Amino acid sequence: MVEETKQAAKGEASEEWKPKIIAFLCNWCSYAGADLAGVSRVQYPPNIRIVRVPCSGRINPFFIIKSLSAGWDGILVSGCHPGDCHYISGNYVARRRFAILRDLLIFMGVQPERLNFTWVSAAEGERFGKVVKKTVENVKSVGPNKMFEKDW
Amino acid sequence: MSDLESSIRETAKNLLTEGKVDLILGYEKGALPLRAAPCFITDPTDVDRLVFDYSCDLNLAKFLREHPEKKLGIISKGCVGRGVIHLVVENQLNKENITIIGIPCQGVINRSRVIRKIGEREILEVKVENDKLLVKGKDFEESLPLDDYINNLCKTCHYKSPPVADITVGEATASSLQDNFEDITSFESKTPGEKMEYFKDELNRCIRCYACREACPVCYCSLCFIDQNKPVWFGKTADITDNFIFHMIRALHVAGRCVSCGACSSVCPMGIDLNLLNRKVEQIVKERYNFESGISLETPPPMGAHKFEDGQEFMIEED
Amino acid sequence: MMQKMISKDKISKFISVLQKEYKIFGPVREKGDIVFKEVQSADEMDLDYLNSKIPPKSVLFPMVDTLFSYKKDGEKVEIIENKPYNKVVIFGIRPCDAQSFYLLHNFFNFGKFKDPNFLDRLLNTVLIGIGCLNPRNTCFCTSVNGGPFNSEHVDILLTKFKENYFIASSTDDGDVILKKMDFLSDAKDSDVKEIEEMQKKVESSIKIIEDLEDLHKILDNMYEDPLWEECALGCLGCGTCSYLCPTCHCFDVVDENKPDGSGRRVRIWDTCQFPLFTLETSGHNPRTNKIQRARQRIYHKFNYYPKNYNLIGCVGCGRCILYCPVSNAARVGEHIGPLAWKSMNFIPSAAIASRLGVLFLSLP
Repeated sequence: MVEETKQAAKGEASEEWKPKIIAFLCNWCSYAGADLAGVSRVQYPPNIRIVRVPCSGRINPFFIIKSLSAGWDGILVSGCHPGDCHYISGNYVARRRFAILRDLLIFMGVQPERLNFTWVSAAEGERFGKVVKKTVENVKSVGPNKMFEKDW
Repeated sequence: MSDLESSIRETAKNLLTEGKVDLILGYEKGALPLRAAPCFITDPTDVDRLVFDYSCDLNLAKFLREHPEKKLGIISKGCVGRGVIHLVVENQLNKENITIIGIPCQGVINRSRVIRKIGEREILEVKVENDKLLVKGKDFEESLPLDDYINNLCKTCHYKSPPVADITVGEATASSLQDNFEDITSFESKTPGEKMEYFKDELNRCIRCYACREACPVCYCSLCFIDQNKPVWFGKTADITDNFIFHMIRALHVAGRCVSCGACSSVCPMGIDLNLLNRKVEQIVKERYNFESGISLETPPPMGAHKFEDGQEFMIEED
Repeated sequence: MMQKMISKDKISKFISVLQKEYKIFGPVREKGDIVFKEVQSADEMDLDYLNSKIPPKSVLFPMVDTLFSYKKDGEKVEIIENKPYNKVVIFGIRPCDAQSFYLLHNFFNFGKFKDPNFLDRLLNTVLIGIGCLNPRNTCFCTSVNGGPFNSEHVDILLTKFKENYFIASSTDDGDVILKKMDFLSDAKDSDVKEIEEMQKKVESSIKIIEDLEDLHKILDNMYEDPLWEECALGCLGCGTCSYLCPTCHCFDVVDENKPDGSGRRVRIWDTCQFPLFTLETSGHNPRTNKIQRARQRIYHKFNYYPKNYNLIGCVGCGRCILYCPVSNAARVGEHIGPLAWKSMNFIPSAAIASRLGVLFLSLP
């Protein structure tokens, strides 16, 4: 852990590229999971910026496409596990929406590594850390997002 | 005039004179060759304007919502009928007011492909003879193989006549086609960079006239996402990034709703081919949720339903 | 005013001489369509074209036109103005499209509001037209004060004649250019005569729509006419007719910014065919339905334009007829008024036919 922190500090000192990832977390599970990760001192890379939403079903595909077009390098969406949604079925609706969105974006040439979806419950602080680590690895493997860079 | 056309006219005339419908929606000859125009008939003596041939590429279901008070009869080839049924499923139309007059379709001609082939010469007359497409102009005459100019979507179409119809005119042949989305699979073997390059190249010509949106039977939002300006979500300029995003989101919005009529591509003044996107969207909902739009009045559309066991193989696991 | 001959193979020399002073825009074939683009040599151009799909207004009034851009550095905001415009030659423009610049000029130069972007570009532009030997069936330029060899709005007009081009200047700018070209040969009188005859022949082959001049008077009494309803029935409400129209000039101004704090203000094409065009901030929309919007386009061209500028706001290029996605004869006729319906083979419905009869009879 200490080793990693040192490396991260080193990365910050040198001009290494650091991906910027936007994370949409549902209020009831994943946001609480992230909170638990913090309280439990779980170490994970500092590349994500969290947007709290009431439910993963609240996440309009616009949020994701807008983020990509605004230059965010990767997306992380997380909600409650199937069966655990605070609003009964919000995450089921979200799952279909993301499946279609993801397939279509990949078909049009967006790298799949940029689009990360998962479930994290309020009790899974440890898992949240791992998910973020994995997401950052994914995004790092495809480099900066220049897909929608404006040419003016 | 073909046999099909005369029985269409006959049926339309009977429906109008018997008072079963107030308005018949059909196709009439457009002002130019290879063009068909939508035709709205209220008077039984006007039925002779109705035609049906290879140029009828619009989806008439688009116009139904504009006449909510009337009893309508609609001349429906397969995709038009599917459009009507899907709109009924989405509660946009009252099925009781609509008589679907089902007719068999042989596919439509991809106009922009013909025009590209002919180039800078004016087309004055187009005829179909057996398996040949005869294109005539002022001082040229060309015979093209018809099959090469039939729209790609029509070649993979399973529903030549509407799956649900109130009246059926002409004989429909059941399709024995095995569609395994080969075109999509071969496109998907490209790298992300190549795929994006292809779409950017194709969409670069878009002039944002929104003919694709306006011709689409399922694009009926009273305020399209691209027109929303409180807040502004996406740019309205004809720059490639904005064009790309517009077409990406439009494809997303018609997922599970698109009836594969290809009207968006055939109305495009710039000849942009959006069919690949439509096919992909068709494949996604078919393979993931086993759904095809507009074939049954009972099945709910996939975006309005969900199951516990829906696929989630794309979710990241912690390992 | 000079009249000369230039052989086909000298066109590239002509272009390279021009290039010393001007940026050249010419008709280029791109994915099967003709577009006006900047060219480096004559080989890139296709001079035997019918007409471009996107009108050459896009050179002077681009689809996306940056008005200014800005950069932010901390508290400081730096505004970047546009660079002065280069001198431009639009080579191979059709006389109808050249006429459209004259109409656009009326709009952008109206009253005390002058549009610097358009006017500066226009001042720096030389138009070298090519006479139209193969007018389309949809063309009607001769009915709206134009013609396939109309040299009124171009500086130089080329007419293809056998293996040569007959080249005639009609302005001082044109004379200056032609004087620089020492490789032009003189035009023989017999040839000039033959060319004039050919021009007349082509001109007479174009369909004439009579009395378009008087259309605005008739339209004055047709505002509430049920004809517009019929016209709008099959209309999709897309922007094709106006975006591809050489004289449509409506625009929207939008601000865009980038995450790094820089941004720009751009002018983009807009059209009266969209509901958003007239939507007011309060939420009120004075033009709510397709009927009103379809009517607006006709009234603007054939009623408001004649009243404001004493000109018909149409150059008869036929693009709206050619590219209308629904090709509705009523819709097509709508663009040039009911008077033209007869010549466009429009079959009116029985109900409307009786009214049309009255209309045709009431003509002077």
